[in-house]
Amino acid sequence: MKRREFLGGAAASGAVLTMPAFISGCGIQQATAVANKTPENPFMDWFGVDQATTAQVMSELSANGADAADLYFQHSRTNYLTLEDGIVSSANSTIEQGVGLRVVIGEQTGYAFTEDLTLPAMLAAAKTAAAIASGSRVVAPQAFNALGMGDLYKTVVPWSDVGIDRKLPLMKFVESQAKSMDEAVEKVAVYWADQDERVMIATLDGTLVTDHRPMTRVTVTVTARRGEEVQSGFSNIAAREEFGWYTEERLNTMVKEAVDRTMVLFDARRPPAGEMPVILASGASGILLHEAIGHGMEADFNRKGTSIYTDMIGKKVAEPFVTVVDQATIPRERGALNFDDEGNKAGRTVLVEDGILKSYLHDTISAKQYGLQPTGSGRRQSYKYAPMPRMSCTFMEDGPHTTEEIVAAVDRGIICETYTNGQVQIGAGDYTFYVKNGWLVENGKATAPIKDVNIIGNGPESLKRITMVANDARLDTGGWTCGKNGQSVPVSQGIPTVLVSKMTVGGENVG
Amino acid sequence: MSVDLKTRAAQAVDIAQKAGAQDAWSTVSQSRDVQFEYREGKLEKVKDTTSQSLGIRIYAGGRYSSHSTTDLTPDRLQDFIAEAVAITAALEPDEYRRITPEALFRNRPTADLDLVDTNVQALEREQRIAWCRALDEKSHQHEQVISATSGIYDGTQRSASASSNGFLDEQQSTYCWFSASVTLRDQGDKRAEDGFYAGGAHVEDLPDPEVVGAKALDRTVSRLGSEKGPTVKSSMVVDARAAASLISRLLGPANARSVQQDRSFWTPLMGEQAFSKKLTIVDDPLIVRGLASRRYDSEGISARALPLVEEGVVRNIYVDTYYGRKGDMAPTTGSPSNRVVRPGDHSLAELLSQVGEGVYVTSWLGGNADGTTGDFSLGLRGHMIENGKIGRPVGEMNVTGNLRDLFTRLELIGDDPYPYSTTLTPSLVFSDVDFSGA
Repeated sequence: MKRREFLGGAAASGAVLTMPAFISGCGIQQATAVANKTPENPFMDWFGVDQATTAQVMSELSANGADAADLYFQHSRTNYLTLEDGIVSSANSTIEQGVGLRVVIGEQTGYAFTEDLTLPAMLAAAKTAAAIASGSRVVAPQAFNALGMGDLYKTVVPWSDVGIDRKLPLMKFVESQAKSMDEAVEKVAVYWADQDERVMIATLDGTLVTDHRPMTRVTVTVTARRGEEVQSGFSNIAAREEFGWYTEERLNTMVKEAVDRTMVLFDARRPPAGEMPVILASGASGILLHEAIGHGMEADFNRKGTSIYTDMIGKKVAEPFVTVVDQATIPRERGALNFDDEGNKAGRTVLVEDGILKSYLHDTISAKQYGLQPTGSGRRQSYKYAPMPRMSCTFMEDGPHTTEEIVAAVDRGIICETYTNGQVQIGAGDYTFYVKNGWLVENGKATAPIKDVNIIGNGPESLKRITMVANDARLDTGGWTCGKNGQSVPVSQGIPTVLVSKMTVGGENVG
Repeated sequence: MSVDLKTRAAQAVDIAQKAGAQDAWSTVSQSRDVQFEYREGKLEKVKDTTSQSLGIRIYAGGRYSSHSTTDLTPDRLQDFIAEAVAITAALEPDEYRRITPEALFRNRPTADLDLVDTNVQALEREQRIAWCRALDEKSHQHEQVISATSGIYDGTQRSASASSNGFLDEQQSTYCWFSASVTLRDQGDKRAEDGFYAGGAHVEDLPDPEVVGAKALDRTVSRLGSEKGPTVKSSMVVDARAAASLISRLLGPANARSVQQDRSFWTPLMGEQAFSKKLTIVDDPLIVRGLASRRYDSEGISARALPLVEEGVVRNIYVDTYYGRKGDMAPTTGSPSNRVVRPGDHSLAELLSQVGEGVYVTSWLGGNADGTTGDFSLGLRGHMIENGKIGRPVGEMNVTGNLRDLFTRLELIGDDPYPYSTTLTPSLVFSDVDFSGA
């Protein structure tokens, strides 16, 4: 019997829990971060395969030659709950388990995965992936050196230990708070998600990385009615956190945001259409960085020459008070990672420093091509996908101005506060984001609420047009998910209040 | 997998019932997916995978939950389903959560929709590489090419479902897609980028890869020198491919869940002349070789053609069993299949000529719509229409309005439905549209 009970097998260490715990939470057993200890034997404890099996599969994977190769074992369990019309009458749980096998030769990648973790199935998948190469066998490791686990999201009580009976009251609390905040609130829906994910990455150079990645998100949707008019809005909070993170205060802040964002829509209008100064409020406006520069700095686009930023490293791209960073090492952030999905240590990459373009986001393939160290930016949605360079937590550092100075500097423009989505064309540099809530600015003052406008600009042009940066940088608490080439990964973003002197604002009533 | 899918689905239902579920509906899915990507004359990526999963919906004690797993080891599957039944007991009862009634699946169609092409299943590496080469060669025929990536994506999907009230069936389909994307050097650091793709259930329904590669290059070349267009109120011609996503946005909140949750601008429109008389949309799951064709939906509901909008009058929306019961609407289907917009009789050239001046949209960039109010704002790329012809390329523009209002001003419809989409839409012409640009 090669395989052992995946979760059950770990019961001895207390790291992971068995299924009845999901139904009725057994509370906090021990206030120690047991779940983040490197497992004694990750092969067996986490995935029920032994080291010799892993070495044998690696050997098959590199049988036709390889510059790099990895096995990405993953097990995730995600739980969803839905509250609508006052009751929680729908739950969903999803288990994804499998191993992704990758072999890299130069810029060529062979990839396969299997959900069957028996030796014959893994060997067959390795053979398939190895078919990309036609060289001679390289020496594969017989043993793997396990690195210690990171501590960015240490877990005391894993989600597998928290029962529905503990989640239901919180969802009901969110609903009742939303209903009590304004009598126009007609319907409230609450969506819960939590996830325990374990990955084990074995690489051709003999390194073994393990990571336990928790994630949770709560979303509240509010629908309100005034006479015949109906408006809806939402808010959510997300992090690599555990149950105790959901304090009443934190939930109340989220609910108030959702209700405020909804009620203001009854008075909100579309701004005038065309080019104008745009003030991006601190926090969620980090979407500007994600779209205007972040994607364009992912090195896969640059090594192929398809990004507008391909020839700009070392050049001045913004005013000296503009510094943009992608950092995976901020504890408990939704975009945080101890190790990336290639087993490289995740870190901090400065994209723009004092206005100068500094570094791309690299995975192993691009770093080799550029003769650099990887920046720990290789990420994948799951074992079903090969990794590629991605953002983690992208933000701008504080600047020399104040929010008051920025608003006062605008004669006629808008302030953008909340967003639903954005997109970018890597080559042309054109990017957009959709503004759900904002304000019209007239003569240096915010005057009237606006809603539902798309903003479009060009990345390098917008960077040059950042004329003021305030000193109120903060990260957004919302649950952002980034999609690229069909793969979704969780990310974070943040920014201080900034002024972009000119962007194109969607609007109505064009003359 | 040695045991057949239907047997596996039925076994899962059996386990659930033995664990205490009154009813259960299980679906076992299996797929083989192959992906070849080719760049600058070289194979860049080969991905070849076989995947499987099991999903189960549990109804127990007036309560409901759904679960899925990729871990199909028999003893663990047993535990997983037993746990699923136990989880269900921890939820709140809901009288509307009931298994799909037998009447909704009893008379499902038996017609052969011809969704399986054995030629796809027999594809060899050499054939895929030959196609990649053809795509690659055609998409590189321009001196400003920086990079062009071509891809072949093919596979087979199978699923079988079984229920405690007598449903037992399976569906299978193949797919094969060609794609090419091209990046060209443009002014300064800017690059023009676009692409083309085509796919179908059968290889013989695809254009030659050379055609796809050439079309990808043509579309990209037409982007060269693109500049920001004007802020203007004018006519908008949306090409057939871009029109598919506009129709998807229009239909986004046309479902029972959004209506019951009070988050749909369609709510007051049932039976009304809501849109232009030019607009007729049918959801048709029974198109032979259709990309989203099926004999039953994910709840088992028998497939049938469903008129959504007839000459501007709203006839039906998507209604699943749960929100249908809860919102007192008869179930139709909860999930879209092939959405077909009835074509008109004008070629694209005629549409442009009739419009004279305006904006011709070839693709969207970002943007969104509020499903509750219909307010939308979308980024776009395309061309100015000058003297009835396609003029200079423009981008960095938004179009803003209200979806319901926009579709009252649908003036003309083309005869050119875009075939490689589950939303089959010809080119569309709207009047008095608000554009923002320079």
